[in-house]
Amino acid sequence: MNNLTSQQRKLAYLCGILVLLVPIIMLGLPSDGKSAGGTLAQLRSKYELGESDLGDVDPSSAAMNLVLLGMRGVAVNLLYNEFEKQKNTKQWFEMQATTESIVRLQPHFEKVWDMNGHNLAYNTSAEWDAVPDRYHWVKEGGKFLMRGVRRNRKSTHLQYFVANVYQKKIGTADESKFYRAYFLHDPEPKFKGGVDPDFNPDELDNYLVAKREYQKATTIEDTEHRPQHILDRSLFRSMPARCQFDYAMALHKDGKFGEEAREAWADALNDWTKKFGHETLTVPVGPLGTDVKFNIRLEMTRDDVRREVASPDDVARVAKAVEDYRKMVNYYYWTTRGLCESEKKTSEAHRNLYEANQFYSKQELEKAEEAALAGITGFDGILKQPEFSDLKSEDTLVEECLLAIKVWKHIHELADKPVPPDYPLKWLEAEHQGNLQYASNVQRAFKRLFLDER
Amino acid sequence: MTFDPRPMDLLPALDYWLRTVGGIALIVLLTSLMSVGVSHRGAAIKLFGGESVGCLKDLISLSPRRVWAVAKLTFMEAYRRKALAVFVIFALLFMFAGWFMGGETGEITPDHVTVYVSFVLRTISWLTLPLVLVLSSFGIPEDIRLRSIHTVVTKPARRLEIVLGRVLGFSLVGTLVLGVMSVVGWLWIVRQIPSELLVCRVPVYGSLEFRDRSGNPAAAGVNTGDIWEFRSYIEGATKARAIWTFSNISERSLDSEGNLHLENEFLAFRSYKGDMKRSLLYDYQLINKKTGQSYTLPARPVNENRSAKDVVPRKLVDDAQKKEYDLIKDFVTDGKLTVEVSCIDREQYLGMARPDLFIRMPDLGFESGYFKAVLGIEILMVLVVLLAVTGSTFLKGPIAALLTAVILILGGKDCHEFMDQLVLGRTSATEGFRGGGFFESVYRIVTHMNPTTELPQNPAFTIMKYTDGFLTDFLWLDKQVIPRLEFFNMAEYVSKGFDVPFDSSLLPSLMILLGYFIPCVLLGYFALRIRELESK
Repeated sequence: MNNLTSQQRKLAYLCGILVLLVPIIMLGLPSDGKSAGGTLAQLRSKYELGESDLGDVDPSSAAMNLVLLGMRGVAVNLLYNEFEKQKNTKQWFEMQATTESIVRLQPHFEKVWDMNGHNLAYNTSAEWDAVPDRYHWVKEGGKFLMRGVRRNRKSTHLQYFVANVYQKKIGTADESKFYRAYFLHDPEPKFKGGVDPDFNPDELDNYLVAKREYQKATTIEDTEHRPQHILDRSLFRSMPARCQFDYAMALHKDGKFGEEAREAWADALNDWTKKFGHETLTVPVGPLGTDVKFNIRLEMTRDDVRREVASPDDVARVAKAVEDYRKMVNYYYWTTRGLCESEKKTSEAHRNLYEANQFYSKQELEKAEEAALAGITGFDGILKQPEFSDLKSEDTLVEECLLAIKVWKHIHELADKPVPPDYPLKWLEAEHQGNLQYASNVQRAFKRLFLDER
Repeated sequence: MTFDPRPMDLLPALDYWLRTVGGIALIVLLTSLMSVGVSHRGAAIKLFGGESVGCLKDLISLSPRRVWAVAKLTFMEAYRRKALAVFVIFALLFMFAGWFMGGETGEITPDHVTVYVSFVLRTISWLTLPLVLVLSSFGIPEDIRLRSIHTVVTKPARRLEIVLGRVLGFSLVGTLVLGVMSVVGWLWIVRQIPSELLVCRVPVYGSLEFRDRSGNPAAAGVNTGDIWEFRSYIEGATKARAIWTFSNISERSLDSEGNLHLENEFLAFRSYKGDMKRSLLYDYQLINKKTGQSYTLPARPVNENRSAKDVVPRKLVDDAQKKEYDLIKDFVTDGKLTVEVSCIDREQYLGMARPDLFIRMPDLGFESGYFKAVLGIEILMVLVVLLAVTGSTFLKGPIAALLTAVILILGGKDCHEFMDQLVLGRTSATEGFRGGGFFESVYRIVTHMNPTTELPQNPAFTIMKYTDGFLTDFLWLDKQVIPRLEFFNMAEYVSKGFDVPFDSSLLPSLMILLGYFIPCVLLGYFALRIRELESK
């Protein structure tokens, strides 16, 4: 025991507190804009760990984490248990509220945003029967991921997943026909037939929005040096151009074959060859087990390789790498497709096939026969051109042509007319005679023209 | 719907309670007699008799005035311990609640009402229950520690009156807190949510039976792959049916215009996409089982995950047969109405459970359901006070608080279900509970033995199994004294827009409180009577 009085002891404590405060203040002094602040502030700034460096600041999230002290992990575990229970018992809105709590506790855990966004857009939407309801949940998932990007501006992954919802979920789901229409004319009454401004503020086609979002992802990868680990980089960097192709194909599906569609194909070709084709890809070229890497571009010619690579051995290796990567991204096919579809005669041929199907659905058989014949004649000429020979095995195009032949033959059958011994694209039909996949898809598409929607 | 309200059957419950409480009382009496017999030998009977007479005297001479005095004292103590500071946390939560709710836009749709109402009721119970739990657990132990209990027990106040006074006092503190919070919560809800979204439906549920695709009676419909087996599905365009029978149907079940309001929450399951432009269709067929007369109402689309309201007019016209029916006269026999539901679409399925179809009576005001749910919290709060005060008569404060908290946790629906699985040895009617009892589980975990692998046959494992059996029986005994708290959760009804049913929620809650009140007060009284109050 000491001989200090109570007052003296209190003064001693006060002095101790003040002495300890000095290093604490020096270490933790925040930056005031002019000076860099204390050591901790400087380190935070150096490694960009501040909340505002990572993304938008959410006061509620910070408040929740503060209130929970060190119990965040426990709270998240409990919330996930709750989430799982709500998901299994189909309490979708309660589950969404739990999701909100989870992301407030873990705002910079990218996988949390990814998993929950996917859950809303893909799993929850599929649990609903009415297509407008399904679309609502797809939007909820997309918007959720967009919020994830705002909270984590440097996340290439999350930005990729946002684009993925626009491209894959809206563009290629079974309900894509409806989703694409809803994307421009939202079914929720409050939007009065217009777009949902939070989901499609610029009133664009979903593929064009997806393209823009993929471009953002590639920009984040470049500027923030945050590589993604979802796809091989060559495939990842091809996504914006692929979306442009998707957009052009979607125009055909929607029955648009005019200047707009041709321009879309021309843009796609441009994006593919001029932009993506000139992207620098760092790829391994050495023998297995070595770490020799070179920068390649898919538009590189053999001469370009020779100019840029010194040793003859390396020239062969780099040229092979260019070829391998072209195969991986289907470079030749998409180039050929872009070239072919940009031509007016291709567009006309597509239009004829589309119209043939439409006339056939309405049982206007004479018009359908005429249009089908014009379409298959058009493609017969196009596919016989040596520069487009790659397209002879392109699934969508082959199935489109085979369906037209089927429709054309069926009209003959209905009219009790013999099918001529020789007709356009007969060689294509013979080439794919034994392909059961084509046969099944064509049969299904044929049934859809006038039977039920199965 | 996620809940299935079943009316409470009072007589079997009373019989069960009498047997449980009687059994426990008998064990306590015999144990006491034996312990007195061992310690006092010859004088045991006299001593035991004297104590019993003293107890009876205490019971007979119970004074409400003295109970009230102890209750007032308890209330003042709680007030001085700044128990009402809980209002600060409450105010803070409600000030910032808007930050965490309503999503990005803060827009309130009908689907968000559930989240808002649940938040309010959950916040109220999470603030009041821990408060009363801590206050009640520490009341008597603190009195003993500070020796202030001597000022009470040396007065004419009896031990029983102290226990009752404490229970009443802490309940009053809790009631005051709960009352203020519930009124503020109600005002908050009314301010946040448009009044047209706040509903309080009064459902009349029926019984449900199924027919399979060949029209034969079935225990349930088809499982289409859901983990949750609450609903089962009927196949479209077959003889599969879900048949509801509603009882006590009369003209009073109709509205002023003579219409019957049916409401359903069927789910749709598509085995193929089909026509995506429209929802799956179902129809109702009204059946008179005596006369065989039937009437099919027009097909209607499923409104999945939301409710579909169908109005059935009293006058039913059959255009095909040019006949007219009266809903009550032609289809209600002995107060029973049978409604068959079928799915129209081929190879598609409709999912349903008993509470998914009900007759909707005229709605009540939202406040009716809301304050009934608050009453549920109040009943639970009194139960917590009762358990904590009882615990505090023979335990120190922190241990009493821990005991009460553990009872509360174990009283939850999930814990009871888990204990049921352990006790009954199966997870469902068809599936056995794998992994065995306590020792077997430990053995399997340590040796990484799969639960499906049979244990070796030797005496050691036989002993282990018997020991596990004994422990499981002990668990069964414990389970009987842990209250089932699922009935107290009335927030789910209100948040989903339903009135709180009296017979399947309020009544069981009240009965559980009453069931615990008598043994708990007696236990508290005896504990305090035999406790050495000088010992801190």
